[in-house]
Amino acid sequence: MKFLKKIIFFYYREYKLNMSGVQDILTNIVFFFLSVFIFIFSIGPDKETISTVGVAIVWTLLLLSSTLSLRKFYQDDFENGNLLIIHLNGFSFGFITILKTFSHFLFVQVPFLLSIPIACILLNIPNDKLLYLFTSFGIGSLTLSCLGSISSSMNLMNQRNFLLGSVIVMIFSVPIIIFSVGIINMAQNFNSLINILFGILLIVFAINPWASGLCLKLSIENN
Amino acid sequence: MKFLVNPSKFNEIADYIFKPVLVLSILFFALGLLFSFYLSPDDYQQGSTVRIMYVHVPSAWLALLTYAIMTFYSIAALAFRMPFGFIFNTAVAPIGAIFTLICIISGSLWGKPMWGTWWVWDARLTSVAILFIIYLIIIFINLSFENRVVREKVVAIFVIVGSVNLPIIKFSVDWWNTLHQPATISKLAKPSIDPSMMTPLIIMTFAFMMIGVAIAILRIKTEIISRKSNLS
Amino acid sequence: MLIVKDLSIERLDKKIFENISLSLAPGNITILKGKNGSGKTTLLKAILNLIEPSFGSIYWKGKLLKKNLYDFYNNVTYISDTTSSLKKLTLADNINIWKKFFISNINDTQIEIALKTLKLDNYLDKKVGTLSFGETKKLEFLRLIIENKNVWVLDEPLSNLDDDSIELMKQTFEDHCEKQGSIIFSSHQNPGIYVTEEMQL
Repeated sequence: MKFLKKIIFFYYREYKLNMSGVQDILTNIVFFFLSVFIFIFSIGPDKETISTVGVAIVWTLLLLSSTLSLRKFYQDDFENGNLLIIHLNGFSFGFITILKTFSHFLFVQVPFLLSIPIACILLNIPNDKLLYLFTSFGIGSLTLSCLGSISSSMNLMNQRNFLLGSVIVMIFSVPIIIFSVGIINMAQNFNSLINILFGILLIVFAINPWASGLCLKLSIENN
Repeated sequence: MKFLVNPSKFNEIADYIFKPVLVLSILFFALGLLFSFYLSPDDYQQGSTVRIMYVHVPSAWLALLTYAIMTFYSIAALAFRMPFGFIFNTAVAPIGAIFTLICIISGSLWGKPMWGTWWVWDARLTSVAILFIIYLIIIFINLSFENRVVREKVVAIFVIVGSVNLPIIKFSVDWWNTLHQPATISKLAKPSIDPSMMTPLIIMTFAFMMIGVAIAILRIKTEIISRKSNLS
Repeated sequence: MLIVKDLSIERLDKKIFENISLSLAPGNITILKGKNGSGKTTLLKAILNLIEPSFGSIYWKGKLLKKNLYDFYNNVTYISDTTSSLKKLTLADNINIWKKFFISNINDTQIEIALKTLKLDNYLDKKVGTLSFGETKKLEFLRLIIENKNVWVLDEPLSNLDDDSIELMKQTFEDHCEKQGSIIFSSHQNPGIYVTEEMQL
């Protein structure tokens, strides 16, 4: 019971923190839309072309904009010692990473989920593809959160080269992009591709507590 | 076999085997190049360009083999607290990167006359390109962390997580219908390659392996010394 | 009851300290003294099981610390040299979060008294980021009171504090001792606080 309360108030804390920096989340979304505009300007306003490459653009930009907020994942809490305090309050490092992954999903990825329909209107993506886009992003974004957790925990002690975190996320998200865009473009294969995507999510979700937990422990040990 | 896990034992053995390995690799290279240029037949479809295979295939095998050994050492290093695994990772990653690069370049040189293009986005090529980037990231991690203890463990974790790419590379030609031809040589089935082409391929593989081992010995010894003097 | 037996720690094949033994009974205050880089923080982190010791062992309530870890964590407050308050939030929000997250049994009047004695009661609506460094440091002691645990592990608690606050700390330490709590803290200066054991590193 006490443990459950602690989890609830962990999310209360995350909520307060994210609401105090709500402009960061909004900046992410503005970045996303601005990049969509820039893509449209560079391709040209031809409706046909835009609707064929539209899905790919949306997915790529979602990936890019979600890597922007990687720094917030563990870095702030690590630098002011909160990660340690949360650990001493009875959460193992592996469990902290699971909690944090869901928190990142809730406060960074879900706002993107809401902005997808608007992007679809802008990019002329037909309505029947919207459902596929939603399902693939629903699964894919949680996978991206897990990958973000792994890469940003690896990067805690890296003072010189923070971009490395984004690179690590992007290299591992290649299969997610391939299968997600595959879902939308080959709707008849829907079930098998969704299974593959779900399998990837489960693998990454299983690796995440081990890999990030170990990295968190390592960074706190050597800080 | 203790020299495979113990740095000081490794140093002893390495001094003995370094020169023989180097000589062997030169011999194999001389023999292999002779075979692959003069003593092997042209392919009835591909003509003389098939000789690129004798560089392309061994380097691809060794790029994968290097990564597989690195994964093995990373798991051992994290699970059994074996510092030699970390030394091995740091030393060998650039060698693997070079093998991958040789494989990619020779492959695209081969692809231009055969497929009419330097590069296609099929599963095998893409996954090898990803392997190359993974090697690069390992090198970058090695360069950008100040703290040695953190750095080597982060590299090991990254190697383990990145090893999911290996089966994808291996089986990509079977899982997806790609332009790249499927494996012609395997242990279980009778190889679909002619013995006259098999010989130079095997010799060249040994030559690549020996030169890889020789460079690895040098790099591991350097790494051990720099650790002893706390340079890194 | 915390017992440290023959603890040695090596980092990168370099010895930081060797054969440290100490025990922390209820009602005890232990001070760790030593120069910069003598391993005070490392020892405190080893006590919290964040650093793997090379040799030696730590016991909590008669069992190995590793076997009894979460019971120990339920009884310990750690203050590091960083300030853990959330800079973007107001002081009142911070207190609220701590009270809930640590499931504190301290009531509001006690917190108000503590705020008054720390002279922070005028800043409740201010963001923590706008406070001075000394004031955020004092806020850490408010966390000590809110968490209300038995064992206090404090890393350089007295640096950057003015004389009034040090006086206040003395008082708090003595009160905590009377309640059968135990304190271990590190300091490079001579604080003039009553201690039961002194440890030179």
